[in-house]
Amino acid sequence: MKISKLKNLWHLPLLLAILVQFWPLVFMISTSFKDMNQIFQASLNPLPLPPTLVNYETVLNNFPFFTFLNNTLFIAIFITVIKLVTSVLAAFAFVYYDFKYKEVIFNSMLLTFFIPFTVLIMPNYLLMSKLGLLNTPWGVILPQLVDGMGIFLMRQTMRGIPKALLEAAVLENASPLQVLYKVILPLIRPSATAISIFFFIDAWNEYFWPLLVLQDKGMYTLPLALQMFISAEGGSEWGIAMAVAMLTCLPPLILYFVSQRFILNTFMQSGVKG
Amino acid sequence: MHKSNWQAWLFLLPATLLFLIFFYRPLIENLYLSFFQWNMISPTMKFVGITNYHSIFVSAELLKIFFNTIFLVFILLILNFVLPYIYSYILGHLITKMQSFYRSALFLPSTISLAVASIIFLWFYNPIAGPLSIILNSIGLESPRWFKEDGLVIIAIATIIAWKSFGYNLIVMLAAMVAVPKELIEAAKLENASNWIIFKRIILPMTSPTALYVFTITVVFGLQYMLVPVNMITQGGPNQGSSNLVYIVYQYAFVFFQTGKSAAFAVLTMIFYVVILVAKYKFIDKKVHYEN
Repeated sequence: MKISKLKNLWHLPLLLAILVQFWPLVFMISTSFKDMNQIFQASLNPLPLPPTLVNYETVLNNFPFFTFLNNTLFIAIFITVIKLVTSVLAAFAFVYYDFKYKEVIFNSMLLTFFIPFTVLIMPNYLLMSKLGLLNTPWGVILPQLVDGMGIFLMRQTMRGIPKALLEAAVLENASPLQVLYKVILPLIRPSATAISIFFFIDAWNEYFWPLLVLQDKGMYTLPLALQMFISAEGGSEWGIAMAVAMLTCLPPLILYFVSQRFILNTFMQSGVKG
Repeated sequence: MHKSNWQAWLFLLPATLLFLIFFYRPLIENLYLSFFQWNMISPTMKFVGITNYHSIFVSAELLKIFFNTIFLVFILLILNFVLPYIYSYILGHLITKMQSFYRSALFLPSTISLAVASIIFLWFYNPIAGPLSIILNSIGLESPRWFKEDGLVIIAIATIIAWKSFGYNLIVMLAAMVAVPKELIEAAKLENASNWIIFKRIILPMTSPTALYVFTITVVFGLQYMLVPVNMITQGGPNQGSSNLVYIVYQYAFVFFQTGKSAAFAVLTMIFYVVILVAKYKFIDKKVHYEN
């Protein structure tokens, strides 16, 4: 009896953490439904009373919101699909073949995950400039089509497939591509989906690289557009800013809600052996 | 396992090319550019030897930048390494109910864009009408101007990064925590070992490889994530008070247009990271048992 009561006390720090982690989100949501007066007079009140849609109307009517949305979607989907292909192909080579310098190549790919991003930006910017890709979605997309962690996670997943299954396919004279397509892909679909969602959320949220490449407002992605709503003095259009923030994080949140179990399980693997 | 070098290489080709062009070429190009004076626009570059490195090492700026980096990393290690470590222990071994709820809920902020997080916290820390200033006012304190004062600005930036990273680090740590056999802990409890002793003697040694991974990503990702709030909110200010080894690489290239100095800082940053990574791999390779 005494022990079970003591155990319950450990829920307190966890609940406190949830409060701290959710508070900013609650504020974003409630502020986005408040008008200017409510924002400044009742900023601690998490309930917008009465809720108003005026901020959302302003965003949809006065800003090219759907242009931002389209730009973000195009870039995020393109990156996700190609990253998935490059990761699956590379992981397959590491699992299916035995070749010279395998470990060295694998490690040098995984290591790129730890290369600090700022170290890459100037040389990559100069390259995009030479190729004439500045201020285009391609300039944003091109340097992001491969992912060290993606290859690592994909390889971990493929390693879980029993070798006998692959050997059986080979005995039936299946080509490597057929083995990949008919045997491996159907088996790794849940993890591959989770990894793709993680690619998509990452690309969707990207701020810094698009900021350097894209100059015209018509090219902006949603995270970039957010910058337009904060002025040097700290801004005054908080309701509108929060409405854009809210719309920006909605797609990742929805994806997370529908696939959280897969995502969490995949992420939990990421640190165990690396 | 199939031995066909050329087939394997065909599958590796797309990833290899992209890594070489967009990850390894820049490292070499930085080294090259760091010996030149250039403004990114002029058609000619001037070879200046080690002048760029020299001017970095004699400037007063380096010390400030270095201190800012260490201070930021220090706060992040507390919020994103020590705290998740303790929380993963609580979550994995001290409670029995609602684990998957806590796991899902605490991870949620990790899916949100740092640009969104920066906007929310900019409002939260607003010294005139923001929620924090109202709380401070109500207990008779005046809100400082968080993003305009030395020291405070780094704390405020760190909380934004910590908010985003906490959940990811927690569940990575949790994976290692739940892998510690329950029987081992039960046995220790039968011998009346306290939670602290269990933590120190069983948990700590058995989770140290993952802990080192989380330690590394706290530093590496923390300094990466920092770019967004610093650029959106402070641009390195006040008076370089929120700049650091990583941000200054961007500043010299894209704000001051001194590619040589930017590249030299990039090389120094890379060395800073290599030291961290080498330390990590040296330590980990002795302890981790790899499958296959």
